[in-house]
Amino acid sequence: MTLFLDVVSTAAILFIVAAGLLAIFGVLKIINFAHGAWLTIGAYCAVVVSGFGLNPWLAIPFAFLIGAILGGVAERFIVRPLYRRPLDAILATWGLGIVIGQLITLWFGRDVQFTPALLPGTFDLFGAGYSAYRLFAIVAAIALGLGFTLLLDGTRLGLSARAVIMNETLARGLGIDTEKVRLTTFMIGTGLAALAGVLLAPLTSVDPNMGVAWLTGAFMLVMVAGSSFGALAVACLIFGAAQVLVSIYFSPILGGITVAVLCAITLRIRPKGFARA
Amino acid sequence: MADTFKLKLSGVSSGYGAVDVVNGVSLAIRPGEIFALMGKNGMGKTTLLKTILGFLRGKGTIEVDGAVIADRKPAELIASGIGYAPQELPLFQDLSIRDNLRLALKGDRDLASALERVYGYFPFLKDRLAQKAGTLSGGEQKMLILARALMLRPKLLLIDEISEGLQPSVVQNIAKALRDEREKRGTTILLVEQNLDFALSVADRWAILKLGAIEDESPNGPDSRSRVLQHLKI
Amino acid sequence: MRDRQKLRLVLLVALALTALLLIVFGPMFLGRFSLNVLTRSMIYAMLAITVDLLWGYTGVLTFGQAAFFGVGAYATAMVLTHIGASPALFVVALVASVLVPLMLGLAVGWLSFYHGSTPLYATVISLVVPIVVTQLVFSGGTWTGSSGGLVGYETLPLGLPGYFRLSGACLLALAVLAIVFVRSDAGRLLVAIRDNEARVAYLGMNPARLKIVLTGVLAGVCGLAGFLFANASGVVAPENAGFVFGTELVVWTALGGRGTIVGPLFGAIGIDYLSASLSGDLPFLWQLIVGALFVAMIILLPGGLASLVTRFLKSANSSSTLKSLPTRIVKDGALASKSLLSIRGLGKSYGSFAVLKGIDLEIGAGELVSLVGPNGAGKTTLMRCLSDGTQQIEGQVDIIGTNIAGRAPERIVALGVGRKFQVASIFDSMTIGECLKMARFSRERPNPMRSLGEIMLPAAAAEILTLTGMADMLAKPVSRLSHGQRQALELAMVVALEPRIILLDEPTAGLTKTERMTIGTILKKLTDEMGFAAILVEHDLDFVRDISSRIVVLHQGKLVLDGTVNDVVNSETVRTIYAGGVHG
Repeated sequence: MTLFLDVVSTAAILFIVAAGLLAIFGVLKIINFAHGAWLTIGAYCAVVVSGFGLNPWLAIPFAFLIGAILGGVAERFIVRPLYRRPLDAILATWGLGIVIGQLITLWFGRDVQFTPALLPGTFDLFGAGYSAYRLFAIVAAIALGLGFTLLLDGTRLGLSARAVIMNETLARGLGIDTEKVRLTTFMIGTGLAALAGVLLAPLTSVDPNMGVAWLTGAFMLVMVAGSSFGALAVACLIFGAAQVLVSIYFSPILGGITVAVLCAITLRIRPKGFARA
Repeated sequence: MADTFKLKLSGVSSGYGAVDVVNGVSLAIRPGEIFALMGKNGMGKTTLLKTILGFLRGKGTIEVDGAVIADRKPAELIASGIGYAPQELPLFQDLSIRDNLRLALKGDRDLASALERVYGYFPFLKDRLAQKAGTLSGGEQKMLILARALMLRPKLLLIDEISEGLQPSVVQNIAKALRDEREKRGTTILLVEQNLDFALSVADRWAILKLGAIEDESPNGPDSRSRVLQHLKI
Repeated sequence: MRDRQKLRLVLLVALALTALLLIVFGPMFLGRFSLNVLTRSMIYAMLAITVDLLWGYTGVLTFGQAAFFGVGAYATAMVLTHIGASPALFVVALVASVLVPLMLGLAVGWLSFYHGSTPLYATVISLVVPIVVTQLVFSGGTWTGSSGGLVGYETLPLGLPGYFRLSGACLLALAVLAIVFVRSDAGRLLVAIRDNEARVAYLGMNPARLKIVLTGVLAGVCGLAGFLFANASGVVAPENAGFVFGTELVVWTALGGRGTIVGPLFGAIGIDYLSASLSGDLPFLWQLIVGALFVAMIILLPGGLASLVTRFLKSANSSSTLKSLPTRIVKDGALASKSLLSIRGLGKSYGSFAVLKGIDLEIGAGELVSLVGPNGAGKTTLMRCLSDGTQQIEGQVDIIGTNIAGRAPERIVALGVGRKFQVASIFDSMTIGECLKMARFSRERPNPMRSLGEIMLPAAAAEILTLTGMADMLAKPVSRLSHGQRQALELAMVVALEPRIILLDEPTAGLTKTERMTIGTILKKLTDEMGFAAILVEHDLDFVRDISSRIVVLHQGKLVLDGTVNDVVNSETVRTIYAGGVHG
């Protein structure tokens, strides 16, 4: 039972971390290598909120807002000129990540910071106690997934985004303002990344480079998932399970590369990954 | 000086990269007129439409209602009342019919009334709103494309080879829809076609495009068919 | 042009001599700190050059060079730590530090590059490799020293000045070799792959294999740098193999100027040296400046700092000197009249949509067959099925008696098929002469040291150039050619392959009347007099009527008519397909 919960909660955390990256990659076909930096921004938002002695849950909307606003600025000045040069966009966003990391270092110092636990203690589930926060992560991931489904299928923005994903030329031909769709998507993606940073903060230590460790795993999962949140959920479950099993039965260090290696192999065999067709 | 033309092209040239596919086309279409532009494949018909809509930048002037529309984005032009039924990759195959139609409008406020209006032309759409566009037959897809172009109540409609590969009955259906639309709302229609029987059954005037230039132009009359056939045959 | 080329050469030689002097006499006036840091910087510069060859020249963005470097360094340190440090074992360490990364590089290359792989996928793999290597180091226990790395092993007894000179010499040698190579014919092939990989394959070469070999060799170079580093620094750590270091290499390359060799070299030395000097005073600010500069550079000046310099020395390296154009006749007699191309029951579907249905066709030597039909009839798809055997099809396609199923384009070219694309597929950053050379490399191995002044072309290809006036402007960059000239150049490249069958997709699209006639004349000559078979997709029916020996009509994926020009022109079916479409 604990193993099952480990797998699901690991998958949930992976999903939360990768969701923002996927939103951006799915619509913009751009890999935001500053994703790690936005995770870090989110985590520091949690630090700031708790520093003011406010309710730690307030960090979630606060981080989303800050992340989205900074994302909007980044899209306008850095990503927009590079839509036609996707490999250069990877580099430019990576450079942006360096800049953000250093700014945070200059502001907050290099030291590791801690945030108060959002949900301390354990929760009794089927007779066994399990970390309440990890259970919350599962709920949060499901909520996030459903939220996205609702956003994509139920709203006008979602419809426009899907149209841009499927056929950008046609979308523009119908008078859809693709620039606005891109800007909004990028802001949502970075907002989510920051939000994920808040959720990660209690699980790990907060330091200026914390995001980088999460970046590659999230990146690989997104490559496998293509542009579908369903596929991302499946990928997180399968590779998350593999990670948990390798960590338990072999070594936690090898567990850390399981996701990346399996994703790379999956892509070699099936270049489209888990995406349909 | 008042201009009585809905759409007026003067010396329009455009193309891809260094090559001009369209070479100095001048045309003038009056309000409420149905104008058929015919020519074989590769003669620049689609390129001309894309230039009018601002997808391609060309030389020469393009006027709509007497105002020069150079340098305007496709989205603005479409929003200002130019309907477009494209030929290449024209539908979101994985979206429902309803979503495909919905995307033609900026917001959902006028959706219901706009849908009602296009059901009038193509009643079959009403019962199959949730069906994915990709599952429609070729003819139904063409009708959906036209329906989508009509959603915004365009004053000028640009249609690219709508009849290609269709059953005669479907072609008649489309012809009727075009005639009705012009009858009811006085819509001006520029029809790019290879199917001369269809084109001549609806057009008031026609022109032949060859190697990017207008080769022949005339009001639709009894001798039109043989004249056009002369240009189109192998 | 000549003068600039000379100026460039003089500059390079002067630069190399200055470098040599600095390397030899540097230790006499440089302080301990500078010597230490510069030794490291010069080793890093070797890595930056490998990044440049892969990314700047071949277009493969890689973060993986750090991994190969780390593997080489660890191989050295592990031999010296666990086995010992006799002179023989130093040789063992050296060999291992080159061979192990080389094998790893080949494996990574094999994983990254295959027919149909995307550039992004190679980048993805290059990210995974350093992560895997680092984690393996972490989990290696005492073998690798885990997170602490390996330290305290015996190193080559060279002393600080000795290491400085050795690293400098290695870097200089690598830079000179790299510069000679990228200017040679074989080196230009890298640029050809970057510009247009599909065209390289359709010229009968295997771009995936070339990239695998390149990755392997450069991994070996990184391993050598790792050997130097492990000795010079006396310590190896997991960070040396890490992904973050890999990205730093890319940053230096980008700032210095990708695709210039010299730029990344100075980029690496300059930034690494400045980082070491400044990091004491303003550690984070310096990183911040480098990061911001990097972002600005990528957006505003993708060519890096070097592009500011090369702007003044432009084009020297592409203006190859071509004096004569000796030609030789390849095909003078008609081939036997047996069938060159045989298609039986060919069908092709995309999802549930059948684009081609049950096509049967036989084509023999000397035939000029035009494929006509309205848009969407399946003409281009048919061409693709003939030139790429990896397409999923029904039925069978034989070329000169060989079934092409499963063959990638370059292996079909080897059977004697040349394909000309609809939009001229040539190498946009090259000259006419260079493009033509590329077309010959599947027959004559390119020279890795020199750029040969003469291009051997079959008479037919040479004639195309003469007819279109391009024979005397071989040094002209193709980016300045007219649309018609580009089409003709591509045709000449295809003919230079000495194929027996030429596939042409709308060769006259967008051409003027005169250009059409020239192309028509050439095609008739190739088929009538030289015995090529040509299959032509064409919309311009007047053109088709003038030149074809046979016309095949496709409609909605089916072959509806196959006959002489007269048969087709007088056919009622064709008239209705084209004029009315009612019988569709």
